[in-house]
Amino acid sequence: MDRPIRRLFLVFTLLFVALLIQLTYVQVWAAPRLKTDPANTRAIEEEMKVERGAIVSADGVELAVNRADGQYFLREYPQGDLTSPWLGYNSLRYGRAGVERVYNEELSGKAGILGITSYWDQLLGNPHRGADLKLTVDMGVQRVAAEALGDRNGAVVALDPRTGAILAMVSYPRYDPNEIDSLWKDINADPDTPLLNRAAQGLYPPGSVFKTIVAAAALETGTATPETAFTDTGTVTAGGYVVRNYGDQSFGEHDFTEAFASSINTTFAKVGVELGADTLAAYAGEFGFGKVPPWPLAGAKSFFPDPGDMDKAHVAQAAFGQGEVLATPLEMALSTAAIANGGTIMKPYLVHQVLDYHQNMLQETKPEAWLRPISSETAASVRDLMVETVRNGTGTAAAIGGVQVAGKTGTAEVADDETHAWFVAFAPANDPQVVVAVLVENAGTGGGVAAPIARQVLVKALGL
Amino acid sequence: MSTRNRELVFLIPALVLTTLGFALVYTQKASTLSWSSLTYGALFLALFAIAHIGRRVLARSADPYLLPVTALLSTLGILMIYRLDEKLALQQAMWLVVGLVLFLLVLAFVRDIRVLRDYRFLIGILGLLLLLMTAVFGREINGAKLWVAFGPIRFQPAEFGKILLVVFFAGYLVDIREVLTVSTRRILGVPLPPLKYLAPLLIVWVLSMALMVFMKDLGTSLLFFGALLALIYVATGRLFYVGVGIVLFLAGAGLLYLGFPHVQTRVDIWLDPWQDPSGKGYQIIQSLFALADGGVLGRGLGEGYLILQSGNTIIPALETDFIFSAIGEELGLVGGVGIILLYLIFTYRGFRVAVQARDDFARLLATGLTSIFALQAFLILGGVIKLIPLTGITLPFVSYGGSSIVANFALVALLLRTSDWVARNEAGDTGQGALVGAGRGPRTAAGMES
Repeated sequence: MDRPIRRLFLVFTLLFVALLIQLTYVQVWAAPRLKTDPANTRAIEEEMKVERGAIVSADGVELAVNRADGQYFLREYPQGDLTSPWLGYNSLRYGRAGVERVYNEELSGKAGILGITSYWDQLLGNPHRGADLKLTVDMGVQRVAAEALGDRNGAVVALDPRTGAILAMVSYPRYDPNEIDSLWKDINADPDTPLLNRAAQGLYPPGSVFKTIVAAAALETGTATPETAFTDTGTVTAGGYVVRNYGDQSFGEHDFTEAFASSINTTFAKVGVELGADTLAAYAGEFGFGKVPPWPLAGAKSFFPDPGDMDKAHVAQAAFGQGEVLATPLEMALSTAAIANGGTIMKPYLVHQVLDYHQNMLQETKPEAWLRPISSETAASVRDLMVETVRNGTGTAAAIGGVQVAGKTGTAEVADDETHAWFVAFAPANDPQVVVAVLVENAGTGGGVAAPIARQVLVKALGL
Repeated sequence: MSTRNRELVFLIPALVLTTLGFALVYTQKASTLSWSSLTYGALFLALFAIAHIGRRVLARSADPYLLPVTALLSTLGILMIYRLDEKLALQQAMWLVVGLVLFLLVLAFVRDIRVLRDYRFLIGILGLLLLLMTAVFGREINGAKLWVAFGPIRFQPAEFGKILLVVFFAGYLVDIREVLTVSTRRILGVPLPPLKYLAPLLIVWVLSMALMVFMKDLGTSLLFFGALLALIYVATGRLFYVGVGIVLFLAGAGLLYLGFPHVQTRVDIWLDPWQDPSGKGYQIIQSLFALADGGVLGRGLGEGYLILQSGNTIIPALETDFIFSAIGEELGLVGGVGIILLYLIFTYRGFRVAVQARDDFARLLATGLTSIFALQAFLILGGVIKLIPLTGITLPFVSYGGSSIVANFALVALLLRTSDWVARNEAGDTGQGALVGAGRGPRTAAGMES
């Protein structure tokens, strides 16, 4: 009778082994599939139980908060659409974007040091919640910039050239992140792409604002000085391509400073050709073209063509920011920051501090240098050109009483459509605190449309 | 280390686990550590100290591993129940006390297992009555008639009935063992006993079918039938009976599948729960989600997503039938494997008692009790992890449920008594217990050693 019992035990052992195999299958092999099964609402429900950290602006305005609903927390954005291009959204259905996505670990309390504090919180009985973020954005400036741009498609970037801190970033059209779930289909189908942050992801021909980079290259290489004399006849031919000035103007005898301030395309075409494709491309690269902006959010690479592919005509056009050259408003703000900041571009950043709920600082973004395309002497020379532009040139609409503003207009030609209006500026010229880049799509001239917007932003940012 | 002290030592992990576990769950719930979270540890210390001393006094030579395994399982159970619902944990603790009292009473009054054999028919009738009681007075809850109410106290007579029937059949099979093994005819070389000796098998079959038809209690039916089939096999050593039994059961189950939507639904859900994930398949699918969420190491006690916003558990019957899913989520594969291994250890120790016994009744009693315990664990564990169709039965010692806890304590007491009886009556081979030793030949040394 021993054998039947041992056999019986063997049968039970096999049954239990089958249990072990099936359990391992469910908990290990099938687990990833089960976790993402459409019927599995655990992840969503659980996420809703986490009190995400609040996001506040540099001037203390609440940008993202939670509303408690029983055990659950619902995310709300008190500033509505104003912040959406970079703040993003936190949707249970559609995921996350912007700061909400990039800083999700911190906001939901999963990241590094917070994981440990949350453990202690448990033991000490404190409620567990994510970290708060304090941004560099000043909502006063952000609002002024948004209102100045109004409902024209375009973007405005304001940053502190000394640190790289983003003070304002506006993109239009936008969406209300509070309504993301219901708007999702519409905004995805919208040809005006409200989900695109035009400031960092929109690529436009930079037009004459690119002359800041060409001027810097010319001055640094000694190809031109501010006093170098030129003669303009209204047109210049390069490689068979006829370059004209905006409005078919003819300037006659002038120096390089006037060529910059009055944005004389013919002169810049000549300077560009003299510099050559390689040098232009090298400087564009030094100023950040071809590089993803070193910040946590999404950003497009600005484009300067491969010098090997450029003939004289291409070089001449590139010298005044036309042809194949494409830039984001953020890139134009950053290259302007090099001039404002003695030749050094600081890495742009949006999140200043990560704080736990006791408002103890967990992490702080320290300003870091990114690129150094030109010497401080060259930077000072270009600055003088830009000051002259606002004082006597195309950018007078940006002038502010009592503060010296340095700027450059751009009126970028687009095939079969109204020109894009550009303006880059910084102030005060002798002690730059704010850099602004403005782009308005298909709106007219830089001096007429974009410069006044930049002026309003500068006034607000400088506290005037 | 002496056998008795070994049990004491092995009780320590259960005590540590309870105290630590309750402290953990308590801090998770109330966010503070307080002495009251340690009271369950103290309660367990007291309970199993009493159980241990009682066992030492009343069943001196019994197996030293069964009680610690029982302690660990009930510890894990009450811990999970406490984590899900404090009030239920308090009731479970009360049932543990009741179970312990019954445990001691069984050990105190059943000093000699031969008494059980002597009263086998009385026990069998009592067991049958308990099952019939459910059929007649039972209330239907969750599609199965399991409960009988006595005023405020509800209990599941089937939990006790099946143990009594196992005791009866162990005794009865000893009576008819000789005739069952007599072969009179051979068909195709297979020795066949006279057909009338298939009677016990048919009785068991009819009973289990009746359980399914009248009580819609698929679990108990399967359990009952499986355990008694195991008993018949061990009693006769004939796979023939097992074969006939399985054929009979499959035939009956097939008919029931066709005739009863209740059974049909269970099987269909098992085959494809995703055809109705928010309805009929909800329970098993949520169980799989919970297990998947737990992964290898689990989410930690109190960290699982088990209670909905409404206060209900995410899986219906989480604290009873589906307690293993909760354990799988919070303690992970590691915890789940631990539980399965504990049942395997229990099964091993139980069959070891059976192997060591020379007395037929002791042998069959140990086999029957162990089989019904192991099979119950397998059926519900397999059900909640979708290895087999789900049958609504409790996980012994772990699930919430007074009847289950108390009945299983009685089962352990009977098993320990058998173990002690075997050790004392047969170790010295005094001849006192070797009732039907003749004719079996010498025992091989290669039995199941510890």
